[in-house]
Amino acid sequence: MSANASGETVVDPHAAEHGIGKYIAVFVALIVLTGASFFTYSSLWPFHDEPAVGRLFMMAVSCTKATLVMLFFMHLKWEANWKYVLTVPPAIMAIFIMLALVPDIGLRYRIASPKRRAFMAEPLDVASVEAGSHAADNGDQQHETGGEH
Amino acid sequence: MATAGHAHSDSFQYQPALPIPNGKLCMWLFLSTEIMFFAALIGTYIVIRFGAPVWPFSHEVHLSEPIGAFNTFVLICSSVSVVLALEASRANRAGAAKGWIATTLALGVLFLGVKAYEYNAKFGHGIYPALPRSRMYEKPDLYFASAVRQRIQALRAEINAKGAENLTEQDQQRLQLLDEIAADPALGPDPTRASLTALALRIMPLGTAPGEEESHHAGLNDEHPWLKLPIVVPGGNMWASTYFTLTGFHALHVLGGLVVFALLLFMRLDAGKANFIENIGLYWHFVDIVWIFLFPLLYLF
Repeated sequence: MSANASGETVVDPHAAEHGIGKYIAVFVALIVLTGASFFTYSSLWPFHDEPAVGRLFMMAVSCTKATLVMLFFMHLKWEANWKYVLTVPPAIMAIFIMLALVPDIGLRYRIASPKRRAFMAEPLDVASVEAGSHAADNGDQQHETGGEH
Repeated sequence: MATAGHAHSDSFQYQPALPIPNGKLCMWLFLSTEIMFFAALIGTYIVIRFGAPVWPFSHEVHLSEPIGAFNTFVLICSSVSVVLALEASRANRAGAAKGWIATTLALGVLFLGVKAYEYNAKFGHGIYPALPRSRMYEKPDLYFASAVRQRIQALRAEINAKGAENLTEQDQQRLQLLDEIAADPALGPDPTRASLTALALRIMPLGTAPGEEESHHAGLNDEHPWLKLPIVVPGGNMWASTYFTLTGFHALHVLGGLVVFALLLFMRLDAGKANFIENIGLYWHFVDIVWIFLFPLLYLF
C-alpha cells in the first residue's frame, strides 16, 4: 500500500518486487565490496608497488557499490524511463567539469615558474640528512653537506 | 491538436508531467544538482591530488583507514534501515517504520560522532585547513625554522611567567628540553638544508606507505604533546584543504538528513507518509553514495 500524490492510498504495484530478502542480499554485497576496497590497504594486497592497480580496483568497487545502491535502495531498477532524464544530464555535466579542471589545476605544476617553485611542496630530502649526520660524526662543517638552499 | 489528441485518447494518453509524485520529482531534481555539486568537489580533489607535486601518506596526517572503513559500514547499515522503514511504512506498520527511522538516526549520529573524533585527532596534531591554527609547513625552510623558534620562545615565556621561585620540577625539565631543542643546528645562525630537514624529522618522523612496516621512531611532538611544535608535511596544506572541504560538506549533508529523521520521529509513519519517507530515503542513499566514493579517495588513494 502506498499514497499517491493526491494523498489517496493506493496499492503499490511493485510491492511484491521489493522483497526484504533482496535488500539483505544487497547489504551483504555492499559489506563484502567495502571489505574488498579495504583489502587494498592490507599488507596482503599484492600490488603495493603499482598504486594505479589499487586505485582502479577501488574505483571499480565504488562504482559497483553506487550502482547497487541506486538500483535497489533508490529503486531505479523499477522506475520508468524518466530516471534517465533526471540522472544522465547531471552525470554528463559532472564529467565535463572534471575534464575542464585538468588543464587549469591538474597541470599547473608541470611547468612551474621559479616563483611558484620556491613555495611548492617537495619531498623531504632524507638522503641529505643521512649524509649530514655522517659528516657531523667526522667533525666536518655542516655547510659542506648542506647542498643547495 | 488538442481535439485530435482528445479524439484518439485510447491510443495516446497525454501526461502533464513525469509519472511520479511532485515531491519525488523535486527530490530527484535536487539530487541532480547535488550530483553536480559533489562531482565538482570530488573532481577537483582528484585533479588536485594527481596534479600535486607531493601528497602526504595517510599516517603523516593521522588518517586511520580502519575508522574510515567502519564509518562506511555505519552508513551502509543506515541506508538499509531507511529502506526497511519505507517498506514498513508502505505495509502500514507505523511502529516498525518509526523503529527503523530511529535506527537510522542513531547510525547517522554514530557516523558524525566518529567523524568528530577523527577531526579532533587532526586538530590535536595541528592539522587545520588554514592559518593561524595550522602548524603545517610544506618544506623545512627558514619560515619553518623561525616558526619553531617562536614556538619555543612562547613556551619559555609561558613557563617563566610563573616566576623563578614557583617553578616545579616538571617546569625545570621542560625548560631544559626547550634549551636542548633551541641548540639544534637548524635553529642556529647558519641553518643548512640538511639540518633543517633533520629538525623536521626530529619533530615528526616521515610516515610510511601502506603495506610497509610502520616506523617506531616517535617524534618530539609525540613524546612531548605539550610542545606542539610546527611540523613539516609536504603537501599537507592542500591535503587538509581538500579533506576538510569534502568531509565537511558531506557531514553537513548527513546533519541535514538527521534533522529530517528527528522530525519524522514525531509523526505517525503509516502508509500516508510512505512518499515522504521515500523522498528522504532517496536523499540519504545519495549521501551514502557520496561517502562510498569519498572513503577510498580520501583514505586509500
